[in-house]
Amino acid sequence: MGARRKGLTTTTEPRKPLTISISPDAAEHVRKFAAQSGKPNASLRVGVKGGGCSGLTYVLDLVEAPNENDKVIEDHGLKLYVDKKSYVFLAGTILEYSGGLNGKGFVFNNPNAKTTCGCGTSFGV
Amino acid sequence: MNSELKTENTSAEQHGALKSGVALVDRSALGRLAVKGKDALDLLSRLSTNALLDLAPGRGMQTVLTSNKGRIVDVLTVLRQDDRLLVLTSPATRQKVAEWMDFYTFTEDVAVKDVTLDTAMLSLSGPRAGEVLDAMSCMSASALAPYEHVYTGLGDVEAMVARTDFTGLPGFDIIAPAAHAEALRNTLLSAGEPLGIAAATQEAVEIVRIERGVPAYGKELGEDYNPLEAGLIGLVSFTKGCYIGQEVVTRLNTYQKVQKQLVALRWDGAADVQAGAPLMMDGKKAGVVTSAARLPGSGTGIGLGYVRKAQAEAGTKLEGPGGAAVEVISSFRQ
Repeated sequence: MGARRKGLTTTTEPRKPLTISISPDAAEHVRKFAAQSGKPNASLRVGVKGGGCSGLTYVLDLVEAPNENDKVIEDHGLKLYVDKKSYVFLAGTILEYSGGLNGKGFVFNNPNAKTTCGCGTSFGV
Repeated sequence: MNSELKTENTSAEQHGALKSGVALVDRSALGRLAVKGKDALDLLSRLSTNALLDLAPGRGMQTVLTSNKGRIVDVLTVLRQDDRLLVLTSPATRQKVAEWMDFYTFTEDVAVKDVTLDTAMLSLSGPRAGEVLDAMSCMSASALAPYEHVYTGLGDVEAMVARTDFTGLPGFDIIAPAAHAEALRNTLLSAGEPLGIAAATQEAVEIVRIERGVPAYGKELGEDYNPLEAGLIGLVSFTKGCYIGQEVVTRLNTYQKVQKQLVALRWDGAADVQAGAPLMMDGKKAGVVTSAARLPGSGTGIGLGYVRKAQAEAGTKLEGPGGAAVEVISSFRQ
């Protein structure tokens, strides 16, 4: 869609609803970890809980099925289950994987996080 | 049942009873939250400073609910019962604490119920408080450890008795259904009569609280202060792992970055020193008075306040309003 106003041309893309996504690398590591844990068909629970230095801590867990009222998101062939309250604090997050010797493991790039603690596992909004 | 006990004792009698005998105090205004669910203790442990996971049923401890800046939201007394936690809050914070816990509950099995108005909390305070309870029931109140609690019959009233030492001297909170408050009050006064029990007003309790250096919410406790400034390091576990505000509190402690300290103060009774009064040294502000009272009898002014760390040593002379000489008599630095 385009719009012309006072000689300027702007392009407005339809806004995508905020969601939670996982990078291909991270999805691959989840699948690998699930297979090693003897749960090759498991999906990933992504959530938040109170605590951690900054107020809220990220939660990752391998689960077989969603809970009632969970949001179910499918990305790169992996199902993510998110409870509705956690979703409020995670909308827009991209779950990535940082590997190698200096890697941090799973990393939450969360646009809602205003502060994070030193170790990066907790955040404040 | 939040109304203050009627008393015919003079303030000096009440003070004497609280310090060396036994006094009855109505503490029903404190918040009482019943917290149920298998994740209740874990959640509170993640939100506050003390090692709550160590608590066995029948035991309790105080813990500081902290913000992510390491500031004090409230100091809670957590009593672990068989099937729930009973959390005592400051009078002004019961709704805030309930909402705080609710905000941080995601998928956990935790349910918070405010039982403040359903219950009464009468308290016996003073060195002889345990004797009154021992004479009334088969329990041995005197043998209770701090924050240990039991259920017992007191007269016709079934009540929970918890040792909380809330003035800094032996003290027991007795929690019963609100409908039994009057009966419980009469029973406790009758049982305490041989020991000269007095019914103490909040003013009388406040004087002893200040004398004993016990900080109170809205005065020494609140989001202007952190637990280390308030002398509450004894309620902070540095080994339990993460809780909200932990990084800040640990850094302040490790690098000795605490800037001000809670101290006890004394001044001549003729001086007009009130809570909120600035304290000066060499023309510069050194601190502020947070609580002030006069001792019955002598009229000596006593108080609590925050002063800069350099002025927190006992014996430091400060200047109050109108040039009043205010002396630091002790610091709660640990």
